[in-house]
Amino acid sequence: MGRSIKKGPYVDMRLLGKVEKQQRNGSREPLRTWARDCTIVPDFIGHTFMVHNGKNFAKLFVTEDMVGHKLGEFAPTRMFKGHSGGKLKTPSGPGPAK
Amino acid sequence: MPRILGVDLPNDKPTHISLRYIKGIGPTTSLEVCEKARVNPQRKARELNEEEVARIATILDREYVVEGQLRRQEQQNIARLREIGCYRGFRHRRSLPARGQRTRTNARTRKGPRKTVAGKKGVKDQK
Repeated sequence: MGRSIKKGPYVDMRLLGKVEKQQRNGSREPLRTWARDCTIVPDFIGHTFMVHNGKNFAKLFVTEDMVGHKLGEFAPTRMFKGHSGGKLKTPSGPGPAK
Repeated sequence: MPRILGVDLPNDKPTHISLRYIKGIGPTTSLEVCEKARVNPQRKARELNEEEVARIATILDREYVVEGQLRRQEQQNIARLREIGCYRGFRHRRSLPARGQRTRTNARTRKGPRKTVAGKKGVKDQK
């Protein structure tokens, strides 16, 4: 079930504050964050985040298309490298493609 | 048999049923279209005269996303998910369920026919 419209999107206020601060001083340093559940709002466009995946931080440059998704959707928490002794075909598992 | 929007050939069923053979038209929209086109939904599709068919066609064209256009839209939505590199995009790329369903068993719609792996537990039972 989706989130109630009344509440609006969930945005991590501390992270939003940091983004706004960056906008004021024009810096585009990657922001480390654990707030995987934070919705990407239009203010985030053009900023870079380092989203925690439980172990490392996945780099994420936010584009317009990503608005409305959550930060965590872009930092996979599981890594599947294929089954042992499996076929030579290696799966192109999670991880930024392109 | 009337032809609407090129390929669709609804048949001897009541109009509101045969309209549902068009991709993007379900029970609700079908009745809506009949009402807007001032066509009795219970009448058989083959009894529709050309004028009525034309009215239905214009309404579908103007107000609804159907057939090819709808398919394109669906494809674009999936392509967007793939491009931005989000989790649902990966699942589409790997053709696995994208909405958190279990994949240990089932998920055959997305995964296709079973590929049996030798030496895996349970292979004998399956035979």
